[in-house]
Amino acid sequence: MGVVLDGLVLGLQLALLSVGVVFVYGLGGVLNLAHGQVAVAGGLVAALLLQAKVNPVLSGLGGVLAAGLVALLLDRTLLQPAYRRRGEERLLLALILTLGTSFALDGFFTFRYPNVALSLRLPAPSVEVAGITVRTASLAVGALSLVTFGLLLVFLKGTRLGKAIRCIIQNEAGAWLCGVDVDRARTVTLFLSGVLAGVAALGQGFFSYLGPDMGPEFTILALIVAVVGGVRSLTGTFLASLLLGMVNAALSYWVGTYLTWIALLAVAVATLLVRPEGLLAYWP
Amino acid sequence: MSVPWTRQVAPVVAVAAVLAAVPLVVGDSPYQMRIATLMLVLACYAVAFNLLFGHTNQLFLCVGALASLGGYLSVILVRDLKLASPAALGLATVAAAATGGFLSYVSVRRGFGVLFVGIVTLAVSLIVHNLLLGLRDLTNGETGIVTRGLGMGLGDHPLRAYYVLLAVVVASLAAYRWLFGSRHGAALHALSEDEVSAELSGIDVTRYKVACATGASALVGLVGALYADLNGFISPSVYAVGHVDIPVLVALLLGGMRTLLGPVVGAALFSVVDELVRPFGQLTVLAYGVLLVALFLLFRQGVVPVVQSALGRRVSALRAPSSRTAAKEEVAGGTEAGR
Amino acid sequence: MLEVQDLWAGYDDVAVVRGVSLRVADGEAIAVLGPNGAGKTTLFRSLVGLVRPKKGSVRFEGRPLHGLRPHEVVRQGVAYVAAERELFPQLTVLENLELGAYARPEGARQRLEMVFELFPRLAERRGQRAGTLSGGEQQMLAIARALMAQPKLLLLDEPSTGLAPRLVAELYRRLETLRRQGVTILLAEQQVGAALGLCSRVYVLKDGGVAFEGEAAELRGSAQLRMAYLGGT
Repeated sequence: MGVVLDGLVLGLQLALLSVGVVFVYGLGGVLNLAHGQVAVAGGLVAALLLQAKVNPVLSGLGGVLAAGLVALLLDRTLLQPAYRRRGEERLLLALILTLGTSFALDGFFTFRYPNVALSLRLPAPSVEVAGITVRTASLAVGALSLVTFGLLLVFLKGTRLGKAIRCIIQNEAGAWLCGVDVDRARTVTLFLSGVLAGVAALGQGFFSYLGPDMGPEFTILALIVAVVGGVRSLTGTFLASLLLGMVNAALSYWVGTYLTWIALLAVAVATLLVRPEGLLAYWP
Repeated sequence: MSVPWTRQVAPVVAVAAVLAAVPLVVGDSPYQMRIATLMLVLACYAVAFNLLFGHTNQLFLCVGALASLGGYLSVILVRDLKLASPAALGLATVAAAATGGFLSYVSVRRGFGVLFVGIVTLAVSLIVHNLLLGLRDLTNGETGIVTRGLGMGLGDHPLRAYYVLLAVVVASLAAYRWLFGSRHGAALHALSEDEVSAELSGIDVTRYKVACATGASALVGLVGALYADLNGFISPSVYAVGHVDIPVLVALLLGGMRTLLGPVVGAALFSVVDELVRPFGQLTVLAYGVLLVALFLLFRQGVVPVVQSALGRRVSALRAPSSRTAAKEEVAGGTEAGR
Repeated sequence: MLEVQDLWAGYDDVAVVRGVSLRVADGEAIAVLGPNGAGKTTLFRSLVGLVRPKKGSVRFEGRPLHGLRPHEVVRQGVAYVAAERELFPQLTVLENLELGAYARPEGARQRLEMVFELFPRLAERRGQRAGTLSGGEQQMLAIARALMAQPKLLLLDEPSTGLAPRLVAELYRRLETLRRQGVTILLAEQQVGAALGLCSRVYVLKDGGVAFEGEAAELRGSAQLRMAYLGGT
């Protein structure tokens, strides 16, 4: 059914956002509350490039790259004071700093580009595939997400740095002792989380539109999904994203927006109550 | 703590006096009176949040939701069940208290960590927000409810509204002072340092946390209901996370967590900043962000502790060394020689 | 090879290591002994860069080691086996070992074979998740992983913890083999007996400072000295 596909694709979108959160938490011990704004930054840059008549593919790449760079900048500047501390102090400081940054970015975007929105239109709204009517947006976003995740997987499993990142999530001290430059890996990870967020922004542009004020919504979604999936587990988060994506799609097909949100959140809360191995452990 | 009770009560009385005098200064301007009253509302929320997050590590990002529970419930009870306003107020407060207590109980029993509680309560806040939007027959959805005649008439009497809220602020500060002056104070200090050790020392951590959450939620619910009355109008966005929880967090961080006057000072500062930043128009949010970051990097602990230690140093310099520990105790316990 | 001069290190405001000086020459096996809380682990952590020293210097082959980040220390040729082992529980034995060669990927294949020869039990379990290994096997894996970095100096913090006596003997036999192959060893131990068997010199730490420095034979021979500095065994 078209709804199932929509759900899966939505799930992939959520995964793009929340996997980035897991990376950053696993490697840096911080939660980036400006994550949504990073995505929005990417979307805005892509939209601006499109307005300037730049080739759509290049605009998209530009947006994605911009998002990564914003995240990188955050890591190198604002998060440094947080990194100097350990454990809960680091987490709380990072929360406040990124919260403030999210406000600053939000304000900046809505002030400077109030009417800029990323909207990617495809030639036809829907297509017949094997007898099922499918939204072209779903196909496009699905393809985009899958390609992105494929590349990510290749990076994680195939490259030296990718393997290092996977092991840092499991044991930071052990990684240092193996000769891994954890600080550098952390910076790369933040860049990657930004890139993923940027792709999610593009996806949103395909589905409807991405506005300058959508940052908080993205951040909250990313956080909730990441926590439900288990903030240290990449696969868990991926699965949680798909699950919640399907729930969302199914519900919005049958009921109204508010109820969908409520049900989604209720599912999230229920999952957390029943299986808190989405339980957040403090960074050691 | 062997500090004489006059010492303990002094700051509360001082604050009460200062705040009571405010209408004398701004009473002529309805706009400024409103700002002052809203500041008191924020201060109450901040006192509650101080108890929740500052002292018992319960990151309840659902203050707005609890306030909305108080507000909407009190209004609906009067409107649909024709209850008398004070009764409705009481019931709304109880409902909020029960909800907060329940959330706390579940979290403590399941052993949830701080951040986890934060995210779960955030989700709860969003659920409540969407419920308010969705249950249009009951709540009028986004359009909201006009509350004139559905409360105690505070909306028509700004001066009365101010003093009622002031009474709530002073009462909560007095309660706070009493709590931390009693033996419970030591238990709460131990609890906020290290829950496991506290438990092992015989402190019933569950009971304290749930009790604090219940009390704090009652305060939030009550003030949420009073706000509904004095504002003349409520809607889901009025109690949204961005309008309540974030300002409360900022105010408490500004003023200083785990202090007596931190919530009040923080609320005052926040309100002032809010007004200063208003002419920026669209850039208000940006200004907030920058402010938050700058303040947190500079004043890690908040204004009140910084002032306290500055004063404490000067005071102890005048005293003999043996009383320096007493001065330190005072600073730690939240009493201070001045403001 | 390793020269530590007047090292002070600790956490926040507390100095745990107070003015420790020690020397390790090429090819030696040196033991750092002492009761719990004497500062052995903090000393090792500060040598490797996991804790930043407050004062003093650490030189390895003439070059300063203090102030380097842990991954740079590894690249200099110093490998550390922590008391907590710090393995990657979700990864297999093989993957853990491969990661040990992260800093020095050339020649990893040969080193892997050498390590499997030294620890045949690990070869048998190469596909098993590290988190499911027994205590003794985890200890061997931790050491093997450190060896994958081809270190000139191997630091071991209480390698015999949690191991049955038979395993401890086996472990120390391996360490002797390594020493004869040219790896310099500096280890901290609570189980004095085995350490004294392997090492030629000892330092005894007490309350963050060096209380005794001398030949292992001295300590081995004198029950009095052992009593005085180590309280028995």
